[in-house]
Amino acid sequence: MKRTFGALALLFIFGTLLVVASPQHGLKFGLGGNNWKNYRYTDQYYIDHGVQEVGGMNIVTDIVFDYRGYDTIGEATVLFTAIAGAVALLRPWRRDEE
Amino acid sequence: MSDMGLIVKTTARATIPLIGIFGSYIVAHGHLTPGGGFQGGATIAGAGILFLLAFGLNEMRKHYNHHVYSSLEGLGGLAFLGVSMLGFSVAFFYNKLWHSGPFFNGKPGTLLSAGYLPIMNLAVGLKVFTGLVSAMAAIALYRRWRE
Repeated sequence: MKRTFGALALLFIFGTLLVVASPQHGLKFGLGGNNWKNYRYTDQYYIDHGVQEVGGMNIVTDIVFDYRGYDTIGEATVLFTAIAGAVALLRPWRRDEE
Repeated sequence: MSDMGLIVKTTARATIPLIGIFGSYIVAHGHLTPGGGFQGGATIAGAGILFLLAFGLNEMRKHYNHHVYSSLEGLGGLAFLGVSMLGFSVAFFYNKLWHSGPFFNGKPGTLLSAGYLPIMNLAVGLKVFTGLVSAMAAIALYRRWRE
């Protein structure tokens, strides 16, 4: 009974999310007005203006290093932190020397 | 860790330069072709890890200097941050070199174009390469079990 109720609740939540996230009827992010799709879906904008605004023929590099540069900084920080943590955890400690 | 024998060592001696050249090509052409700093750096790091696996830890100890690698990684990160601050008069991560820069402002599609993207690709490639090789060397050097 409990499991059935939980599965039904999960199904309901997923359905609500699908309805809300649908562009036809649901939340309309952005500045409002009729051209809200241009503010919400930016992929066509990147394809049209990427070469002119950033200059790289590789649109993915344009997005990663210019439009989404903060994400790349975070990625580099994560890499640095992972390596610093690995070295700090694995280096010989005093009680290992025997 | 001992080496892996004559066949593997000979094959690695032949393929490590080719892997390095391929990774450098991916990094240098990151703004033109698929790929970029992360992918090319990981490819070059694959060459370093192949060296470690094929030739063993004692040979790696002779060629690996921890201070050089960690300082190069810091240099890559600082170059990334510094280049991203070049267009600070407009915004963080504004490609000032491309719009009104003294160099790297060629036609789109040529090698010397796209403003700060080649510099950033080089910085990120250096950072990923040295970071992954450092992590692998740390795992191999500081292990706790015995042979």
